[in-house]
Amino acid sequence: MATLQRVNKKGKKEYSDNLAGFIMSSPAIILLVAFLIIPIIYTIYYSFFTYQVVRPDNIKFNAIGNYVKLFHDENFYVALKNTVYFTVIVVPVQCTLALVLALMVSSKKKGVAIFRTLYYSPQITSMVIIAVLWTILYNSNANTGLINAFLKSIGMQPIDFLNNPKTAMNSIIFMSAWQGAGYQMMIFIAGLNAIPTEQYEAASVDGADWFAKLIYVTIPGLINTIKYVLMITLIQAMKLFTQPYIMTKGGPRNATKTLVFYIYEQGFQKGNFGYACSIATVFFIIVVALSIIVKKISKTN
Amino acid sequence: MNNKKINKVLGNVIFYLGNIIVGLIFVSPLLWMLASSFKPELEIFSNLNSLSTFIPKNFTLANYAEVFQRIKVFTILKNTLIYIGIVLIGDLLLGSMFGYALAKMKYRFRGISLTIVIALMSMPVEAIILPLYIEMAQLNWVNTMLGLTIPFMMNCFSIYMFYSYFIGIPDELIEAAKVDGCGPIRTYFKIIMPISKTVFATVLILDFVSRWNDFMWPFLITTGEEKRTVQLAVQIFVGVSPIHYGVIMAVLTFASIPMILMYIFMQKFYVEGIASTGIKG
Amino acid sequence: MKKVLRTLGVLALGGMLAACGNSAGTTKQADSSSAGDGSSQAAESKSADGVTNVTIWSPTDTAAIEAWWVEKIDQWNKENPDIQVKREAIDRADSYAYENKITTATTSGNLPDILYVDGPMVSYYAANGITVPLDSYFTADDLKDFMPSTVQADTYDGKLYAIAPTESSVALFYNKDYLDKAGIEYPSDTDIKKAWTWSQFLDNAKKLTTDDYVGTNIIMDKGEGIIYALGQFFTEGGAEFVNEDGSKADGYVNSDASIKTAEYLNEFIKNGYANLDPVKDEFLNGKAATLLGGSWNIADLEKSNLNWGVSYFPVADDGKAASPTGDWAAAITRDSKNPDAAGKFLQWAMNSDNIASYASAVAKPASRTSSYEKMEGWDSGARALMKWQLQNTGVSRPRTPSYSVLSTDFSTAMLNIFAGADAKEELDNVAKNFDENYEMYYKK
Repeated sequence: MATLQRVNKKGKKEYSDNLAGFIMSSPAIILLVAFLIIPIIYTIYYSFFTYQVVRPDNIKFNAIGNYVKLFHDENFYVALKNTVYFTVIVVPVQCTLALVLALMVSSKKKGVAIFRTLYYSPQITSMVIIAVLWTILYNSNANTGLINAFLKSIGMQPIDFLNNPKTAMNSIIFMSAWQGAGYQMMIFIAGLNAIPTEQYEAASVDGADWFAKLIYVTIPGLINTIKYVLMITLIQAMKLFTQPYIMTKGGPRNATKTLVFYIYEQGFQKGNFGYACSIATVFFIIVVALSIIVKKISKTN
Repeated sequence: MNNKKINKVLGNVIFYLGNIIVGLIFVSPLLWMLASSFKPELEIFSNLNSLSTFIPKNFTLANYAEVFQRIKVFTILKNTLIYIGIVLIGDLLLGSMFGYALAKMKYRFRGISLTIVIALMSMPVEAIILPLYIEMAQLNWVNTMLGLTIPFMMNCFSIYMFYSYFIGIPDELIEAAKVDGCGPIRTYFKIIMPISKTVFATVLILDFVSRWNDFMWPFLITTGEEKRTVQLAVQIFVGVSPIHYGVIMAVLTFASIPMILMYIFMQKFYVEGIASTGIKG
Repeated sequence: MKKVLRTLGVLALGGMLAACGNSAGTTKQADSSSAGDGSSQAAESKSADGVTNVTIWSPTDTAAIEAWWVEKIDQWNKENPDIQVKREAIDRADSYAYENKITTATTSGNLPDILYVDGPMVSYYAANGITVPLDSYFTADDLKDFMPSTVQADTYDGKLYAIAPTESSVALFYNKDYLDKAGIEYPSDTDIKKAWTWSQFLDNAKKLTTDDYVGTNIIMDKGEGIIYALGQFFTEGGAEFVNEDGSKADGYVNSDASIKTAEYLNEFIKNGYANLDPVKDEFLNGKAATLLGGSWNIADLEKSNLNWGVSYFPVADDGKAASPTGDWAAAITRDSKNPDAAGKFLQWAMNSDNIASYASAVAKPASRTSSYEKMEGWDSGARALMKWQLQNTGVSRPRTPSYSVLSTDFSTAMLNIFAGADAKEELDNVAKNFDENYEMYYKK
């Protein structure tokens, strides 16, 4: 009898927990389904059609034709390579920069808030504004570009930042790291503050210098923070679009053409909407795979 | 003792000097933008190779005057704030509810929901913007407030921010509420929400910044001056002649002001908020 | 699918209302604005009282043109209570953004009645049935008054699909002080036989390049500006972009003459006589000694205290001359519920007087010959030269439904060549993509 009651109670509890969970999540889920998942389904659906974007009256079924074309498309591989390159470089660069900045301003000295604000400021003013501004700063001529004027005044040759295929992506990486590092810095500061001071004191007693402390106390103490920061930076990096869109239009010589930019270019500029959808679908598959991996890794804490 | 004092002074000198130098280099692009917005057009590129390029010699407000003359600044600000306001209400309320459910409620499909949220987080809107527009057209929402705001009310990044904050809240707190007879939903609104100001402030600022910078969607979905938002107005100065760099700098500076104000006023909450989402993630 | 969507939309709204009682006010507000607005949608063009509404989209323009629109539409609406016109200014940083907006609206019938499109896009929109013929509103007699290049650019498949109030041309502007310093004689602005040839242009650009400024500016912008401003060098060099009926690019855009022209232009960039990314108004700011500039630059130059002169668009060494033409034109869309009302408005807006005032406001050459009688300052100096070029050397951009592919790929190719890529390889690529696109969507 008693056992039966318990089962009943448990069943009821499960039911009410489920209900509460559904109530709390359903408004958000409805919105996500309606305005994110349905467009994605549309995207997958249209990826099997030949669809010139201004001819909705003339959509032809093309089976896997778009995908066959995609896997033979040099530009697709270039875009994939650029996206991977950007991600692989910008994630460690930006995170290291953020960690260094965080170490610089993690103490409780007077005025530290001002320095934090300075490092955070590029983040406050948004990527769109930053990209327009840096296009002007990066100008290849020392008479009109601030950075090249500086290089010239210290006796260096001007660099053709955004017009040279060898430097264009790196220039975007540099700017993006500068713009974004402030955000990760904030997270690192919190992580640093959460490391118990006793650990540092113990290390001091053992005669450790600052470098040894960094390696044996700081980094291990930050490991969860580092994982989190790497993950959000990675996800942001995969969808690189604004910078090439505003600064280089994907050029020069496709050096900054990313997957998202390529989707945009095919769909809008060239009107190959069906084809653009097939690129978007492949992109989506990559992103989902990546998220599953990321989730697995973050679960191992 | 003496040695320790010297060490401390030396440490301070290194700290302040290092931070001042690195800090100035860090903000120099923004300082240049600010300085140039107060310069007459011909001065902007005239002395790039000296440090004096960071100080306007012939200080002028003419660039700002032109900004105010060419666009209806107040209409634009009003439009942008209405747009952001509606989107933020949805995002903060519904997003936080979902984030909380993902973090603390045991219900079916929770695991898969979380995976989907993470996957959708890296789905850029540019990749699906045309299908989204087609959907809006089928709903007859083109050129309406609904079409402008509702699709962007839900933002997976915010959901994830909320999730990673709420997951750090001790279970005992929720258990205690339950013992007091508080249902799970009431627990969220009465107990959890009031103690979570920092994460709300953080998402508010991050979202404010990203919506403030929206260009593509407002551009495609709305037509006409009555609905023009800030970033659309910025485009006019970059694209329609006469193009003057001083004016571009002025409009860029102007477009950054609300975000800077926002940051200054909410800094305290914000710093803690970012912090708390991070370490427990 | 549509029904499912509607339901979902309602559900999403309902869900929100249920979830947040206190935000109902906001939602209500959103609702009312959706009901009261939508004026730019052709679907609602006829209201209950028999008034026809006509909506126009055109890019946001200079202050003078914005004022012209307000004044003229006011006048029209007062004189024609049965046809009420409204114009929406579309903000955009470049012409691509504007076209993206049109593209998007096309997917679901949200186009306005009257649409302004860039000259070379006329064929694209016509071939895709987005715009409708205007022949019933503009007779052959009317068209005799228009510049030949205007009529040519606005005609597709033998029918008139758009009508442009203004034209444009590109000429060589120079800084007199810098030419004096380099000891170079001013090129003529009255005799095209004394215009700079290709070799002179290159030579002088070299002589004019100093540490403080470059010899010339040939990059107008990195989009449409490439094919617009530099395309006529290809004509002068004996190359064509596509064949006669606009269906094939292989053997044309990648011909030997074409490759030679591309390599010639690259001399300027490669040797640093011109910047690949010039700051805007480089010439005006004294950072370039010469400029391949448009007719629209004249007004700004006149206002400046720069000591400048103007000469013809450079001619080929063998004397062959061409010059860029084309401007935005008005078209009527397939979504228009009342094309006749729109046509009536266009007839009026494009009459000789209105074109004269429009062209004067923007300081562009008018597309109607008779308009010049009412415009001041077009019989001497830079403006007369532009007008002369239009009547004598003007050539329109290639007319083909695959123009947008040609334009984007051509400008990408040229920018790549400027960045060091092989000219033949790049132009071959343009030809390949163009032919593929034509083949896929337009082959009969």
